[in-house]
Amino acid sequence: QSSDFLFKFLVIGNAGTGKSCLLHQFIEKKFKDDSNHTIGVEFGSKIINVGGKYVKLQIWDTAGQERFRSVTRSYYRGAAGALLVYDITSRETYNALTNWLTDARMLASQNIVIILCGNKKDLDADREVTFLEASRFAQENELMFLETSALTGENVEEAFVQCARKILNKIESGELDPERMGSGIQYGDAALRQLRSPRRAQAQSAQECGC
Amino acid sequence: FCRNLFTRKQSARFEKQNDVGWKLFGKVPLRENSQKDPKKIQKEYEEKTGRGHRPLSPKQNVRKNLDFEPLSTTALILEDRPANLPAKPAEEAQKHRQQYEEMVVQAKKRELKEAQKRRKQLEERCKLEDSIGNAVLTWNNEILPNWETMCCSRKVRELWWQGIPPSVRGKVWSLAIGNELNITHELFDICLARAKEKWRSLSTGGAEVECEDAGFSAADREASLELIKLDISRTFPNLCIFQQGGPYHDTLHSILGAYTCYRPDVGYVQGMSFIAAVLILNLDTADAFIAFSNLLNKPCQMAFFRVDHGLMLTYFAAFEVFFEENLPKLFAHFKKNNLTPDIYLIDWIFTLYSKSLPLDLACRVWDVFCRDGEEFLFRTALGILKLFEDILTKMDFIHIAQFLTKLPEDLPSEEFFASIAAIQMQSRNKKWAQV
Repeated sequence: QSSDFLFKFLVIGNAGTGKSCLLHQFIEKKFKDDSNHTIGVEFGSKIINVGGKYVKLQIWDTAGQERFRSVTRSYYRGAAGALLVYDITSRETYNALTNWLTDARMLASQNIVIILCGNKKDLDADREVTFLEASRFAQENELMFLETSALTGENVEEAFVQCARKILNKIESGELDPERMGSGIQYGDAALRQLRSPRRAQAQSAQECGC
Repeated sequence: FCRNLFTRKQSARFEKQNDVGWKLFGKVPLRENSQKDPKKIQKEYEEKTGRGHRPLSPKQNVRKNLDFEPLSTTALILEDRPANLPAKPAEEAQKHRQQYEEMVVQAKKRELKEAQKRRKQLEERCKLEDSIGNAVLTWNNEILPNWETMCCSRKVRELWWQGIPPSVRGKVWSLAIGNELNITHELFDICLARAKEKWRSLSTGGAEVECEDAGFSAADREASLELIKLDISRTFPNLCIFQQGGPYHDTLHSILGAYTCYRPDVGYVQGMSFIAAVLILNLDTADAFIAFSNLLNKPCQMAFFRVDHGLMLTYFAAFEVFFEENLPKLFAHFKKNNLTPDIYLIDWIFTLYSKSLPLDLACRVWDVFCRDGEEFLFRTALGILKLFEDILTKMDFIHIAQFLTKLPEDLPSEEFFASIAAIQMQSRNKKWAQV
């Protein structure tokens, strides 16, 4: 399947918050209950349709342990989007968010779009972080915010799609330039074909003006 | 009685539906049979032979019967047509006899072939068991008693490469890893006792444990102890022996806990649980701890587990020298796609392949790693790349990255070791250590 854009995505956050499970749920539509812990980095990729555009996500799922920070930091460069994950049943993982955020803003592209994910929404009985508190934090730090459940799949696809949609909006408004180095965005094979045949590209832009 | 009923039912059906003059007898367990009504039996029979109620022309029926595969418990009996029906023409009877004989011959042939196959498999298994048995004897009687003098001999090294038999594996690993740190069982007990004290004080939320642990805040240590708990359940989850309530849960917890007390400056780092788990599968608890601590004390493991990024990059750079030397085409392809070795090597080195390879293969890699040292870890990596060179050359960045961080589960072991053997760890007359 061809795509119009390719976005590099990160999944970051403390160990045991369910980063790999979110990724697995997003790609396989299944909960992985015999999950290993990630050492270094693992990968996933998926093509999603966002408002008629096909976007290929190249997802870097990083190790959560503090000790691996020096390694995982080197993977931030050129990321267009990120899922910043904490566990709603663990205040400690919530308290660590500021550190993760500083790293992401500093090391990835300046315009990185980040969505905050309060994972393990299904464990509401053990909740240590309220929705209100986290959404306030998200607002203050200009993050999108969702509570997700890798177990039930609730809001998992939405998290990835909303993040991608925001990036697309920024491209359309000119705020993001896919051709700038390190933007974390590349034209997909379909878009490249269009660029190579100017007539079709014109038709496409005319269509876009119409809406 | 049941058998008679069954037979009558069958023959009645045969008489009605077709007039081929032989019958099939399946061995049906009596007990089952007695409870079934005839209709059910007939239905089952039809299912077995793949025939429905549709009346078939005799010709079709003949073909069907020829396709039928006789089980060893099924007998084919040629019978003449019942007396109440007109006799078969001689020609037809002759034809049927011929077909019947053909079928019997075929069935015999097939059974013979299967028996031969079984015998061959049995022979192979016996041979394998013999060779393992012999290897165990050699290891136990000749090599282990004379370890110092024999461990480096050519014969032993060759036997070693074949894979150490599981029953002596732990002993050989222990001897090969050594005990430079002079850790005794008593020291393990002391470290374990301290670890248990910490767990207790944490779980009761009690007073600060004394702070001689260089430069680590109580919160950090707490996080590390919490993480151990979390990771134990995520270590070989499919084996179901390290998880809460599993037989080795406490053992794994003990070793990792004791290590954080023995080396608070290193502490617990993800990946360690896999190494400790593999050792536990082959050694007693205290011996596993001794091997674990000494193993992590090796320069390469120390560099990685302290996450000394600079030193790790040095290792990666050395790896790339040998990568280019051995697999120049693939190396260029990786360069073109910006695929750096850290992406796949980190997981492989941190867990010594125990997370990424099937456990039996990982143990064989450990065997030779104990013999050859860190160099073999990188040689194994090149062996994997070589084994999959053709597919990898056709992939783009994301697919290579996905492939290497999640290797196929059914690696062919002989091909795998052959491809490791084909890797030369010499670059422009320089060996690994020199590079």
